[in-house]
Amino acid sequence: MRIALLSDIHANLPALEACFKSIDEQKPDAVYCLGDLVGYNIWPNEVINEIRKRGIPTIAGNYDQGIGLMSDECGCAYKTDTEKDMGKISISYTNSLVKPDERRYLRTLPAHIRVEFQLNNDKLNLLLVHGSPRKINEYLFEDRDEKSLLRIMEQADADIMCFGHTHKPYHRILPAEVIDNTHYRHAINIGSVGKPKDGNPQGCYVMLTINADTSISNKDAIQVEFIRFEYDVEKAAKAVEDSPLPNEYADMLRKGY
Amino acid sequence: MEFPKDYKYSKEHAWLKVLDNEMALVGITEFAQSELGEVVYMDLPAVGKQFDKDEGFGSVEAVKTTSDLFMPVSGQVVEVNASLKDNAPLINSASFTEGWMIKIKMLNPSEAEALLDASAYEGLVS
Repeated sequence: MRIALLSDIHANLPALEACFKSIDEQKPDAVYCLGDLVGYNIWPNEVINEIRKRGIPTIAGNYDQGIGLMSDECGCAYKTDTEKDMGKISISYTNSLVKPDERRYLRTLPAHIRVEFQLNNDKLNLLLVHGSPRKINEYLFEDRDEKSLLRIMEQADADIMCFGHTHKPYHRILPAEVIDNTHYRHAINIGSVGKPKDGNPQGCYVMLTINADTSISNKDAIQVEFIRFEYDVEKAAKAVEDSPLPNEYADMLRKGY
Repeated sequence: MEFPKDYKYSKEHAWLKVLDNEMALVGITEFAQSELGEVVYMDLPAVGKQFDKDEGFGSVEAVKTTSDLFMPVSGQVVEVNASLKDNAPLINSASFTEGWMIKIKMLNPSEAEALLDASAYEGLVS
């Protein structure tokens, strides 16, 4: 089974359209969205409606939660006063754009999606979250201590955990000894469709392949492909510059930070 | 931001509150918790463990990042704040009071004198 996973679109319609074009070519068996549909660009309603039109199961990101509640707080970890001031403009502008029906959709999105496989008389849990199972806005970066990641996944009963929020994709295979057997867990950050921060301005999504012989005791049982796609970055950046949003967000799109 | 005057501070953003000649409470400063964001998990040592000054005694996991915790002075753990197990965000809401982490018996109380006072620590972080 091939599962396409996308996240962190952040109101970037040109990126989402290019992402869907790529996904359609891949012909996956399922598609899930891990949230943060809105914020930082001018097309929050259009992005929401593209996702809804396709009936894609979607969970709430921290920005979706903030806008769903008409809050002025998105749960983002801005470091400097400049970043905080820019963030205030973005959430205020997004709140002014999002229409009532689209806001209701954001407000009722689920927090997690759990997909349970039963292959070869064995259980395999795929857990989809935005930040982490315990906090919608927790940043799980690639350098997170292995012990910490394993504890988070064990507590959530997740064999494969997919998440977004940091906009920096990675796949870590985490071995754990369980009664004479090695149990492999997979932590997968699926990157960002519309606001990449890993130095590559191309959009990113993940194709996860679960095989018939996939098992928790086989290290290479799943395939994780990070698919990068070109999109009209200039159109998205120009839209930012022509809006009340800070121009820095356009520069971030052009350079991928 | 608060910098209580009757506390001592380390450059690693831990505070020490001396209770009497030997006993002291250890926690992290209001500045430290603001840098971490909402705390979601604490890894604290068992009672009886001994640590040297500047040795790591645990770690804190918060929404923005994780951080190791370093002893401001040498000491033996005599009590761990049990409230943090179910209520880690106490570190955020009451970092200098209910959010204390461990109570220690100082092994060399004179080390406390070498720590920063409130105004020196305030100067360090502002």
